[in-house]
Formats: sequence, structure tokens, C-alpha cells
Amino acid sequence: MNNNTLGVIFASDNESHLNDLTLHRTTASLPFAGRYRLIDFVLSNFVNANITTIGIVAKNNYNSLMDHIRMGRDWNLNRKNSGIVVFPPFVLNSSHDIYKGAIEALYSLRNFLVNSKEEYVVISNSNIAFNIDFDDVEAFHLEKGADITVLTHRTEEINPRKYVVSVDKNDRITDLRYPIASDPEEQLADLNIYYIKKDLLLSLIDNAYAHGAYDFEKEIIQKELDNLYIMSYEVKSYVAVIDRIPVYFKHSMELLDPNIRNELFYSNSTILTKVKDSKPTKYMEGAVVKNSMIADGCEIDGTVENSILFRSVKVQKGAVVKNSIIMENGIIMENAKINYVISDKNVIVQSGRELSGFESYPIVIVKGKVV
Amino acid sequence: MNRMKKECVAMLLAGGQGTRLGVLTNDVAKPAVPFGAKYRIIDFPLSNCVNSGIDTIGVLTQYRPFELHQYIGNGQPWDLDRLNGGIYVLPPFMRAKSGEWYKGTANAIYQNIDFIDRYDPEYVVLLSGDHIYKMDYADMLKLHKKQHADCTIAVLDVPIEEASRFGIMNLNEKGEIYEFEEKPKQPKSTKASMGIYIFTWEKLRKYLIEDEADKTSENDFGKNIIPKMLSDNQKMIAYQFDGYWKDVGTISSLWEANMDILHGNSGLNLGDDKWKIYCRNTAEPPHYVSDSATITESLATEGAMIYGTVKNSVLFGSVTIGKGAYVEGAIIMPNAVIEEGADVRYSIVGWNAVVGKNAKVGETQPPSKAGEWKISVIAPNYKVKAGEVVPADKMIGG
Repeated sequence: MNNNTLGVIFASDNESHLNDLTLHRTTASLPFAGRYRLIDFVLSNFVNANITTIGIVAKNNYNSLMDHIRMGRDWNLNRKNSGIVVFPPFVLNSSHDIYKGAIEALYSLRNFLVNSKEEYVVISNSNIAFNIDFDDVEAFHLEKGADITVLTHRTEEINPRKYVVSVDKNDRITDLRYPIASDPEEQLADLNIYYIKKDLLLSLIDNAYAHGAYDFEKEIIQKELDNLYIMSYEVKSYVAVIDRIPVYFKHSMELLDPNIRNELFYSNSTILTKVKDSKPTKYMEGAVVKNSMIADGCEIDGTVENSILFRSVKVQKGAVVKNSIIMENGIIMENAKINYVISDKNVIVQSGRELSGFESYPIVIVKGKVV
Repeated sequence: MNRMKKECVAMLLAGGQGTRLGVLTNDVAKPAVPFGAKYRIIDFPLSNCVNSGIDTIGVLTQYRPFELHQYIGNGQPWDLDRLNGGIYVLPPFMRAKSGEWYKGTANAIYQNIDFIDRYDPEYVVLLSGDHIYKMDYADMLKLHKKQHADCTIAVLDVPIEEASRFGIMNLNEKGEIYEFEEKPKQPKSTKASMGIYIFTWEKLRKYLIEDEADKTSENDFGKNIIPKMLSDNQKMIAYQFDGYWKDVGTISSLWEANMDILHGNSGLNLGDDKWKIYCRNTAEPPHYVSDSATITESLATEGAMIYGTVKNSVLFGSVTIGKGAYVEGAIIMPNAVIEEGADVRYSIVGWNAVVGKNAKVGETQPPSKAGEWKISVIAPNYKVKAGEVVPADKMIGG
């Protein structure tokens, strides 16, 4: 059945601090879980709920994103009707700078929104790994008679620059604000996913844009809390918001827990990604592998413990990889030892080198570097 | 001008039952049988076609075609969803006055003359869906064109003592075939036919029509078309191939070919980025190797969960190897489960099959004579009960 909702995904997140990992890419195309990129989760959840008109707003460094999405074929989004559109950065008439915030971006997507047949819009960030049913979100929105439904989750991982919400007993949002020092550890955090009727969105965006506003949360959600019926839909299943390097590391390692893996990959939507036709992974004589998640195309002749290997990683004889994340095409040469390392794509750690970070401070090796 | 025109069209014979694979082909045609941890047998000729620049392929199906049809789909995994050309599944069909099954390999092509004519090709490549190899058909076509041949047959050298198991081509000094002997008792040469042919379509078309009119013919390429063309002195040449090639028509050859991937010196390299083998992807997360697992000299792929010991084995997608299980020299096909404490050696476990707790499957002693493994086979979807013992060389279920 067709869904009456279209999706808008923001490929970049201003409040993310992934530093070296997003030097060359958007948050959306950050590799995660051995063979995916972060945007795969939101996209797959959309596709699963038959949300097939999807606009992706890219801001910068979007080459890797375009290469990943191509025509959307791997998500079955290469369709005659609807399908996927990537909106590269644009310059608005009124200024000579690319857009500053979500309001300006959405305003420039006006034609895309107006011309699509869907009546509802779901706006989403792309830095979230989860597996939810957007049909449930729609049902909640309609049942509650909400004007805007805000997806939230309970967490102790509070990003000081992201909003937390307070709700009343009916899940109506009574406050949306930055966290402060005296807050309790666990908070209900805004996931930056909004479900809203298209006409309402357009009028809110027009009005905000006309008044020079650009921050969607501050200048639309916060401002309209009293006027509109803005509800919180709490996601209770597994949610990983990836906005800082230690958090990326922590959520990656959580995937070694079978329960979390099941929840993320087998609970609802099939998580789809770009297919690369790598050969199967080969374990050699010297392979000693424990508690690790390993993608296709790897060749392992050394020790791998508590780690995640992306596609086509080579771990040579005598090499020891512990508590680490090795992205695509990484080569850990003979007798090299790494511990608490995140190595980006195409990294080579040469023979005999030793590198060690710590759980709270994993060392990041930038894409393409040779150690 | 025919805007659909193609220089070369490939026809892939995928209709055979493959009886020698026993329970593995009870419900699926041989080309759909899983191979090499993430592939199906048919992925090899299909990927060869695409890598050789052939984008129009007819796949002739007859026996148990549904799995194969579903697997091929619109051909997208092989980049064969084309505006003009692409991949077509060609099962037998009814005509106004009659309709019949494919009687033989030649009759299967004969019945699809109209399909081939639509593309008005100069050449037709004839392939079969039960061989594992990587080959550039474009290079073979180059030779065919250069020699102005009517038919080019790919051959490879086999040991003389094994030559009587193959169709043997006897060549003159110019590389022309003057004689073809099917499984000769006293082979005169070691050039075995690989079952890969290039025909000049105009010629083949004429021979197919004549063959169909001949009521005594078995309508088979090896038995009828090739001998007839030879006796008519058509120009038939051999294309020498030196790479890896294996007919996986039997349980032992299927097992061996899988094991060949494990051993780098076999010549079967799946990791060549310039000659990728494509397959339909199952959208599973990377595989997981637990704290209790040991895995060496093996292949594994997406969706697998490994808690036991795995040696010298090929694990397909989404298999589970339970804690304390021991797997050696085995091929575990998609979604199969080896439960805790089970022991599986020198076996092929079919897709979705279950080997219950502490069950024992297959040979425990190395073979008395090198290379003579006694492979046990568990049928797809079959459940070996907890504690059950399945001896060596046994085929069970189905």
C-alpha cells in the first residue's frame, strides 16, 4: 500500500562532533556496523513503511553520499513514481551563502514538497541507527490528533548542544530546551525526527523564513509549544545517536551483543545498503578470532578480538587487533598491534607498529593514512 | 535497421535436473545450487557474460524453475536490467498448433530461434549452468572471428588417464577439430570440451532446423549437432583455456570445487576486482564470531553466527554453528543450523537443514586413499535428530 508520507533526510548534523571521521564525508555516510552507512537505517525504515518519496538534503562533503545512494537502487527507490532525490547545497536568492539551518533548507525544498502527492512529511536526521516502524508513528500522530509528533528517546548520553524535552502525562511536550548541569542523568532527548502535516509544515516554514529564522527546533518547535499540539513519541527500542567519537565507538561495540544486534537488524525493517559484491571472508591458518563482527571480503591470518572489521580488511600473520574498528580496505600488517583504534577507510598499519588508545578516547586514524 | 541488433547473444542451458546431485536438486535446478559461501552456480557463467561485455542472455529453464526464476529476477544483481537486451528466462511454451518440453539441448535452442532472431546476432555463445570457472568469452569470440570459424569450442587439457571421462576433441596442427569423441575408451588427445561453444548464428540456425527435421536425432549438441557439422567439414576450431574449470555435476566435484576456493593455489580466485563474480545479495549484517568460537582455513559470509569450531569449511549466509559444535571439511549451506555439540565432517549440509544437538555426521577418519573423500549429504530442510549418527558417504532426507 502506498504511504501518504514523504521523507526528508538531513545528511549533515550541525551538532555532531565526529571530527576526523567526518573530514571527508557527511554524517549520513559515516560507515557503521561493518557494512552500512548511517543513513541506511533511516532510509531502510522509510522504505519498510513504504515511504518512497524521499529528499536528502546535503550540505557539504557529499561526494561519498552521492556515491553511496546513486539512484537509490539498493533501497528499491529507483522508481518511476516517487523515489529518491539528493539536493546538493544551494544558494538562496536572498543571500550568497549556502543555507544556515533546517528552515532555510526546507524553504528551498518548497517545490519538492508542494509537488509531491503525499499529505504528511517526516523530517529526519541521518545520524541514528535504529529499527522502527514509521507506520506506528503515523498511527500515533493521528490517534493523538497531533500537529507535530517529535520522536524522542530516554538516554544518559546527553549532548549539551542538543535539546531535551519535558512531557505531560499525555505525552504532550511542555518544554524543549538545552540540558543544564543540574538535570538528572537520564533525560528524554529530541531525536530530531518530526512527523507533520505537509500544509502545516509549509506555513510554519514560510512564516519562519520570512522572519529570518533558521533553527527549526528553536524557532518553530519551541515557539509553537503553546499554540500547537506537539507530542512526544518515545522510541523504546534500541537507538544509537552517533554524534561524537566516543559515542560512535561505544555504539559500535554494543553490536557485539547478540541482543542488540537482533534488535537493530532483525526486529522490524530489513536494513538495506549499497551492495558491493565482495567475496566471502577468508580465515587462514593463523586466524584467532573472538567476539567480533566481520564483513565480507576480509582476509584474516592474525588475532582479532572485540572488534568490528568492515569489508575487505586484511589482518596479516601475527597482527593483533583488539577493541578496534577497522573500516573498509584497512590493512594491519604482520605483527602490528592495535588496541582501541578506529581506523578510517584505506588505512595501512605497517609491520610491527603498535598503537593504543583507551575506551574513553579511541585513537582515530584518518582515511587513507599509513602508520 | 534493427535497433535491437546485438553482435552476440548468449544462451545458457539451465534446464537439466542434475540427478547426480541427489537430494540437493530435488526442489531446485542445478544452476540454482549454492556455491562458494555466497554464490549460486549460475553466478559464474552470468558474471562471465557481463564481464565479457555480453548483455543479452537467454536462460533456458525447464526442471524445477521457480527458485531459479526468482533468483534471476530482473537481472539487476548482474547489471542485466537493460533497456535493450538483458536477461530473459526462457521456459518451454505453447504455440498455436503445439507445444512441447525441451527434448534436448539442441531442441531447446531450436524452440527459441525466434528469441535469438529478434536480436539478429552474428554469433551465439552457448553455455551451461553447471561449471565453475572464470573466462573471457570476448577473447574466445576474437579467435572465432579471426579464424572465420563456424564453431569454436573451448577446451582444456586434462590428465590423459582422466580423458575418458570427457568429450575429447582431436585437433590438427592448425588447431582445427577433425574429430570429436564422447568419453573415448582410448583417448587420442587430452583436449576436453568445456561445454562452451561459439557459433556463427547463420550456420547454427540452419543446423538446428535440419536437426529438428531429422526424426532419428536426439536433438543434442554433443551427440548430433557437433558431429553433423564435423562430417559436413564446417570450420570448427578449439579455443585453448588454461584457467580453473570444474564441472560441479556430482557431489564429490561440488565439494571439491568449494574446497578449491580455500586453497589459494587452486587457481579459483574470487577476489579479482576486474572480474567480479556477482550474486543476489541477501541484506544481512556482517557475520559474528563469538568468544567460544575457533575458525581457521574457512570461508564465512554475512548473517552467519559462529559459536563453535570451524576448520577447512565453507559457511554460507545466515548459518549458525552452535557452541561446542565441531565442523571440519564441511559445506554448510544458507540458513542451516549446526546445534550445540554436533560434529559435522566431510559433508554437505543443505539449506535450512538442522543438525541436532550432539549429532554426528560424516566421515571421522581421513580417507585411505588421498582425495577419495566419502561425502555425506543432508538434504535441504531436513532435520538430523539430536544424537543421531549419519555415517560417511550417506545421503539423507529428501
